[in-house]
Amino acid sequence: MFGRYKDVTEKDKVQLEITEGDTLWHVVDAFIKQYPAVEKDKKFMMVSKNNMYVSYDTRITEKDEITLSPPVVSGG
Amino acid sequence: MDKERYRRQTLVKEFGETGQEVLSTKHVVVIGAGGLGSNCANLLVRMGIGRLTIVDFDTVDITNLHRTSLYTEEDIGKLKTVVLQDKLQSINAKVQVKGINQKVTKENINALVKNADVIVDGTDNLPLRFLINQVCIQHNIPWVYAGVYETVGMVMGVVPKKTPCLQCIAQNIPEHKSGETPVLGSLPAIIAAIQCTETVKLLLGKPLAGLIIYDVWKQCFDNIDINSNPNCPICGKKTPRVR
Repeated sequence: MFGRYKDVTEKDKVQLEITEGDTLWHVVDAFIKQYPAVEKDKKFMMVSKNNMYVSYDTRITEKDEITLSPPVVSGG
Repeated sequence: MDKERYRRQTLVKEFGETGQEVLSTKHVVVIGAGGLGSNCANLLVRMGIGRLTIVDFDTVDITNLHRTSLYTEEDIGKLKTVVLQDKLQSINAKVQVKGINQKVTKENINALVKNADVIVDGTDNLPLRFLINQVCIQHNIPWVYAGVYETVGMVMGVVPKKTPCLQCIAQNIPEHKSGETPVLGSLPAIIAAIQCTETVKLLLGKPLAGLIIYDVWKQCFDNIDINSNPNCPICGKKTPRVR
């Protein structure tokens, strides 16, 4: 967990119910289901797989490390 | 006089007299003169950058004053670049400071960035950041992204062919929301200071910190080490072109 997600979850790491072969969409959905406070970020979360930010359509395996960060901010 | 001026800074072992000498030979272009750009320009000039160009097309507005350090009520209505050029030059006469009153577009960006050692992002919107990203990757110019929203800021230095670019981390971008971005007044100065430090490290050839996320309200600091995306449409195998 990074940024305010660490605050929302009160954890550095969370356990989510995911099935082998699911995509990062499933990770995002499972995260929102467990922590509804982050629902406004759906579609915009920065989701990385093994230290690489990739498309939500990317499939995951058991050994993959997933990180969730708040969306890119754009004010100046 | 210069040695005395920077004495406390050259005592810093990571920087030293060599860092000071190198910094004095470098040219930074700051795009945008709001909360991030003006604060970062202020620090770079004080630290002893050789040459600083700042590009903006706007005038100082009363809504700028809560999150900036150099603008005053007397400056309201004046061009930001004119105000900054005068003030920055009076802060450090040895630095070549130039303000350019232009809106950055895909038509003029190449001319604006071509002689820069590093581009500093002081913009307030993602489309312009993606344009900077694309042009910098194309011309092999490092740049330092920074953004602020409410109490959260992000900073990431981008070195073409070495680090992830903005597109690598932003596969999913929030839709453009019209209206004003909420920003706590204390946030841009802190994020600009982090951005300035990453810029100096880039100029000195030092390794960068990856993606930095800081929440000034919660005092929560994160540093994420990330890899480039080989399928990135901008910095991946495909050669980017500005259309």
